[in-house]
Amino acid sequence: MLLNYLASIGRFIPEIVLVVTMIGLLFVESTYGENDKGSKKGYLYATAYIGLILSLAQLVGSLGDAPGGIFTNSLTIDPFSTLAKIIMVIGTAGATYLSRRSSDIYSELKGEFVIISIGVLIGGMLLASANNMLMLYIGIETLSILSYVLASLKKNDDRSSEAGLKYSLYGGISAGIMLFGLSHIFGVVGTIQFTGMIAKLQTLDTMQIAILMPSFLMFFAGIGYKIACVPFHMWAPDVYEGSPLPVTTFFSIVPKIAGIAVLVRVTMAFFGGETTALQMTWVGTLSVIAALTMTVGNVSAIGQRSVKRMLAYSSISHAGMMMMGVVCLTEIGVTGILFYGITYLFMTLVAFFITSFVQDEYGNDHFERFNGLIFKHPLMAIFMIITMFSLAGIPPFSGFVAKFNIFNALIDKNFYVLAIIAGLNSVVALYYYLKIVRLMVFKQSESDEKIGGFVFSNQVAIAVLTVPVVLLGVFWESIIHVANGAKIFIQ
Amino acid sequence: MSGTSNLLNWILWMPMLGALGVLLIPKAKENAIRFWALANTAITMVLTAKLWMGFDNSIAGMQEAFTVKIPWIKQFNIFYHLGVDGISLPMILLTSVILFICILSSWTVKKQIKGYFALILFLQSTIYGVFFSLDFFLFYVYWEVMLIPMFFLIGIWGGENREYAAVKFFLYTFFGSILMLVGMVALYHATGKGVDSFDLLALKASADEFIKMKVSLFGTEVAFDKLFFMFMFIGFAIKVPVFPFHTWLPHAHVQAPTAISVILAGVLLKMGTYGFLRIAFPIFPGAAVYFSNFIAILGLINIIYGAFCAMAQTDVKKLIAYSSVSHMGFVMIGMAAMTSQGLNGAVLQMFNHGTSAAMMFLLIGVLYERSHHRWIVRPDGSKGFGGLYTQMPTFSIVFIIGMFAAMGLPGLSGFISEALIFFGIYQKFTTMTVLALLGLLIGAAYLLWMFKRMFFGEVVEECKSYTDMNAREIFYMLPLCIAVILFGIWPSPILDIMKASVNSLVTLLANYQ
Repeated sequence: MLLNYLASIGRFIPEIVLVVTMIGLLFVESTYGENDKGSKKGYLYATAYIGLILSLAQLVGSLGDAPGGIFTNSLTIDPFSTLAKIIMVIGTAGATYLSRRSSDIYSELKGEFVIISIGVLIGGMLLASANNMLMLYIGIETLSILSYVLASLKKNDDRSSEAGLKYSLYGGISAGIMLFGLSHIFGVVGTIQFTGMIAKLQTLDTMQIAILMPSFLMFFAGIGYKIACVPFHMWAPDVYEGSPLPVTTFFSIVPKIAGIAVLVRVTMAFFGGETTALQMTWVGTLSVIAALTMTVGNVSAIGQRSVKRMLAYSSISHAGMMMMGVVCLTEIGVTGILFYGITYLFMTLVAFFITSFVQDEYGNDHFERFNGLIFKHPLMAIFMIITMFSLAGIPPFSGFVAKFNIFNALIDKNFYVLAIIAGLNSVVALYYYLKIVRLMVFKQSESDEKIGGFVFSNQVAIAVLTVPVVLLGVFWESIIHVANGAKIFIQ
Repeated sequence: MSGTSNLLNWILWMPMLGALGVLLIPKAKENAIRFWALANTAITMVLTAKLWMGFDNSIAGMQEAFTVKIPWIKQFNIFYHLGVDGISLPMILLTSVILFICILSSWTVKKQIKGYFALILFLQSTIYGVFFSLDFFLFYVYWEVMLIPMFFLIGIWGGENREYAAVKFFLYTFFGSILMLVGMVALYHATGKGVDSFDLLALKASADEFIKMKVSLFGTEVAFDKLFFMFMFIGFAIKVPVFPFHTWLPHAHVQAPTAISVILAGVLLKMGTYGFLRIAFPIFPGAAVYFSNFIAILGLINIIYGAFCAMAQTDVKKLIAYSSVSHMGFVMIGMAAMTSQGLNGAVLQMFNHGTSAAMMFLLIGVLYERSHHRWIVRPDGSKGFGGLYTQMPTFSIVFIIGMFAAMGLPGLSGFISEALIFFGIYQKFTTMTVLALLGLLIGAAYLLWMFKRMFFGEVVEECKSYTDMNAREIFYMLPLCIAVILFGIWPSPILDIMKASVNSLVTLLANYQ
């Protein structure tokens, strides 16, 4: 037994590293005096980066390891979860970098942001690995409760406080509903373990199925809320807008990827087998919701004045696109989702980085602030253009390959209607992405003043993040190979 | 599996190198940028000529000697696969010549020269990519990438309403390509078990399988080939443009700068019809035959509706834009006939319309540089131009040549292709032939009417200051004039190139009739 636990700890190092980092950060934070808060955050950020890099290195190193359950099978470590965790760690590192450079977070609260975001990351990692309902619930709550704090980090700002309140109210209710649903599932199936669930669900009688159908919908509500899919998306735009920009960046990556990862695992662990009535309900609901999520996200994004809010709505529609991969219930679908997640990570980071620096300069991020950016900062504008085209799914950028992979999964299962809905949606999306491109290139700026945020180091950071957006559009063989190898492991 | 020659690679990447080179030249050295771009297109033209020299007219399929095939994404069987045959070579020749001329005609562009020439060269490379690709995935990538330079070229250097035109152009074409993407992936999954491929030749070979397949859509069984033929059809039809998908074209043409209008009319519209001949027809021959009447009717609508629209225009560029709609209708109806003359005529018309439409748009550009307006009749009812013939005799002569070529006057290039098309369609669509001939008549009417209003009559006061064409303008009009006259008398150089390939397509389609 002891040996078993020791072995488990060996596979749990990435998370442990992050927990240690979190504790370390608390110490480092306390060494700063009352007056030097904000100006001397070097050690704090150094600690955070070291923790994230160590964790990342451990994760990348274990990508090829054989899958297996740890801690009496309550967590599964498989290539799928490891890859999802890699995406989340990189996303956190990006948001952390942005939090230091952004003036949207009060300088005395930057330490808090770093500590809490690593906490959210740990919750997300637990969620990606969860192999029973209890771990799933713990993961979601770790992720959520800390997120509420992040959303209201700009505490003197009304909108940020509103965001925090809204987030926690919605989050509390949906977690409650999910728990209620989970308790029914436990009552009928008699286990909280995902292991062997497929077989158990296939031997149910009609009465039990009738009980489980609404229970699964409640279960889905909890996960759907985290991914912000329609109709559980109401909180998202307000929270995304009210939160400081680095937090929004963080929210549109880590909780979203964690939510998608757990959705994939639950769907595969519960319904990966033969067709049953329950599977039809789940997958049917999922496909309708995926189509709705894409459409509502895109249509709402059109009318926005704030770029951040537009990106928030567009991230809802991207989540819808990833959900389409889940509907397929195939390995190709999972590969498509992972590839989509990787490209989505980099595109989101570039878009939010640039928006953040523009917003810091002008005090708001209305579309007009991007006017004539190409004349002031040609390189940054070109990176933004590339990212916008990539988000819209235009070759030769990575967003296109991601879209192609989802289409590939959908059509492999003959889901032509879903593919067409997804395709039409990307036409709608192109319209609002083009809006930014248009303003940057075709319009003249009111002033010739350069944007202070685009200092050399920030430009380098943005350039580094843009590289994968371009490269993965042309040389995507190796990454698709990795995504393909990241099989989901169901015992 | 590569051929012996890297020529296609050179032609494809030379403009891209040129674009990168432009970016390296300092902004202030404007003439250096212009000459660099010109030299680059000249080199590409020489390379294309070399391709023409090495081309074997007797081979119906792909020219093995030039084929390039390198694995790109092994997992999906995606290849970087380039090839050339008798259908693509005329388009390649056209592209090389037109782009060279466009660089020359862009000498007077003043705004952000560096970006302008870099984007044009980039555009040129993507055009070659579309015509060379033998892998559907590669084709699709080039087809889409092409939109990016076009969007900026129209949006930055265009007329007053340029933003609207650029966005409309982008969204329309993108909508079509999405349907194409769905069709493309469906084809990939359909090619039998274990041989999943995007290879256009392999897909063509399994055409018979597609006919037997069914697709379930909303619970009803639909024939696979018919459904996806429709998808491809919409994708390509938007580009041609076929009625009712043509509404982007007048905006894009009128707003685009001269050189871009020339590329649009001269080359880009042909991509749509080329797509039919390379992808939609060979892969779905059964569906193509099934829908041939439908395509012919749409082509006929294009001819007549486009001609009437052109007649109603008071903006001379818009008039020529609508005449393009009308002329592309001839290509559509010629293809729909699926006879040897019809298809040969259609491909020849693609080439000939490329030269004559390019001429017309260039001439309007020349005129616009002097007048800064394009009104035949101004909105207030007064004449925009008048008596140009006495003011600009050389210009008028070139204009007459271009106009008569577009009209299809015997002895000029348009006549041969239109005559071939009429012979071809008469065997199948007798009534439609008569109606299409009527379209020809309307075409003559609006062009002559336009000519009368602009060139004859009293000299309008402001036209008195217009100077005749200068040496540079004459120089770049000359190759087109020669092409229009030469291929009007002696069309066999172009016909010989395409005959074998087109006829093999005719034979293929005949099996399904």
